[in-house]
Amino acid sequence: MDRRALLVGSGVALAGLVGYPIVRRALALRSAAFVARGQRYDGPIEQTIRDGLLATGFQPERIAGKRVLLKPNLVEPTRKSPQMTTHPAMVVAAANVFRRWGASVIVGEGPGHVRDTEMALAESNMQAALDDAGLDFADLNYEDVSWVANAGGASKLPGFWFPRSVVEADLIVSMPKLKTHHWVGFTASMKNLYGTIPGIKYGWPKNVLHYAGIPETVLDINASLPKAISIIDGIVCMEGDGPILGTAKQMGLVIVGCNPTAVDATVARIMGLAPERVSYLQLAANRLGPVDEGLIAQRGETWRSVASPFRIIDNPSLQALRAQSGTLFS
Amino acid sequence: MAWTNELLDQLTGQLPCGYHMSGPPGAEPTALAALALAAGDRTVDAQRAIDWIASQQAADGSVGPMPGQATPGWPTSLAVLAAQFVYSRNSAAKHAFDLTRAINWICQTKGESLPRNDITAHDTTIVAWPWVADTHSWIEPTSQSILALKAIGRAADARAQEGARMIIDRLLPSGGCNYGNTFVMGQELRPHLQPTALAMLALSGQPDATGTISKSLDYLSRELSPSTASASLSYGLMALAAYGRAPRDWMGWLENAYRRTVKREPAPYRLALIALAALGDTGPLALAAKNTKSTSL
Repeated sequence: MDRRALLVGSGVALAGLVGYPIVRRALALRSAAFVARGQRYDGPIEQTIRDGLLATGFQPERIAGKRVLLKPNLVEPTRKSPQMTTHPAMVVAAANVFRRWGASVIVGEGPGHVRDTEMALAESNMQAALDDAGLDFADLNYEDVSWVANAGGASKLPGFWFPRSVVEADLIVSMPKLKTHHWVGFTASMKNLYGTIPGIKYGWPKNVLHYAGIPETVLDINASLPKAISIIDGIVCMEGDGPILGTAKQMGLVIVGCNPTAVDATVARIMGLAPERVSYLQLAANRLGPVDEGLIAQRGETWRSVASPFRIIDNPSLQALRAQSGTLFS
Repeated sequence: MAWTNELLDQLTGQLPCGYHMSGPPGAEPTALAALALAAGDRTVDAQRAIDWIASQQAADGSVGPMPGQATPGWPTSLAVLAAQFVYSRNSAAKHAFDLTRAINWICQTKGESLPRNDITAHDTTIVAWPWVADTHSWIEPTSQSILALKAIGRAADARAQEGARMIIDRLLPSGGCNYGNTFVMGQELRPHLQPTALAMLALSGQPDATGTISKSLDYLSRELSPSTASASLSYGLMALAAYGRAPRDWMGWLENAYRRTVKREPAPYRLALIALAALGDTGPLALAAKNTKSTSL
């Protein structure tokens, strides 16, 4: 069976990435991850996000007057499973941070499994929150598109069609829900950027990406959007059969950083996974950012102090991603 | 009715139509608008919409999603539905849109089949229609293509029948379907309203050997409500109308959806769908769904 063809990429194409200038630049600049514990959706998460950004090297003065796109995960929202999608309170809090720093903020998403964006916004309770906060929403599945050359080179795709709001943004903030993922182990900042790819060009699901390989296209999309940072909703997470059918796991975490690879490597450790075994992090390591623990500065809580292994489904390829207990907690 | 006339006025003012007021025009929303305008006897405006779609048609007969984007060609089926309906209502119309080439393109377009596997439960070998060339077959492009073939009197074509077999295979055991996966790693996925409704329109007239069509209609009846989002509500009501199962106050639900849509953003895509649903079982999509006869074009 060609698993790649359905949803999972199998091959790994590393050639062409080593030494890529933009990657070296990202590596040199950003390698910190901030972890805050004890967080609640009705708590002071705006302050937490602000603290996290400042602690990981974000320079507020550089965003004044610029355009910020917040990209939550609204892949297939349903009120029956709020642990599937980014909580609206996280999005509003992040918007307030950037607005107070003088940026112009919009929220955008291209849901990957549903065409009815109005329904996605209603089922996720996002629309009401955006209305209250006076935030505009960009429907990334249906906007004008622009071609951007593939800066990663891991997949066969020569480039990507990105929506106008993505191309025009000065900063993209990946705001995923922290979840397990039954194809690639887990989904966080990097995989969340699949939602910047427009369905009108790639379909529902975005099957073109699956055929080109999920790990490879995760790498390529992130390499092609180097102006991205991470703010992760790890307050109520999803474990088990994520990213859709998993169950809620209370973690109370907000994780922030200016390098999505470093942030995702950190949250993988928190989830009890070995990031060096996760295919897209293997590709990204030392190219888009650091995966090695020694290269990631820990800010706020240490990952070890908040680690709590997530249940993952009983599939050999996924179980193989588990960190050995000695590795996880030593 | 006053509100439906008002709605059609708004559509007319936004031709060619986009998904959103501020976005680019698109073949899909313009085709849906053409259907609604033609059904509302706005012949000149419907013709204008089809002429715009014709201007987007490629030499191979396909129609891309928006100007400057010749691929993917999935909107071609909707363009066929619209052109066929508009031309049938106005025999004097200039046929700028080449139906024959478009239908040939649809018939030559095939989703990638894959060997059966133990990860997903559906029959990956059935050939239907993809969103994008060289990828797998999925529910909505398959449903739209079947409806186009039904509309032109080719319901009995082998491709339409295999497409129907694919959709039936992708229905969830408990009813409904999503974008087109049923089980992944042993877990049954959730149904969604819009693809379920389109699937039901495409399957109208098919035997319900396993009972999943009936369960899917039950799912629509159970889940649709006055507060359902406009596109899902409209498709859902079109499907139920085609099967004679529209809820009692369906027109009131649509009027509410119209008012909500206008208040937030009179997006032409949503307005067109509301207008089509307001036609009940005489709307062009419901009529196409019920056209199980085979005739020559």
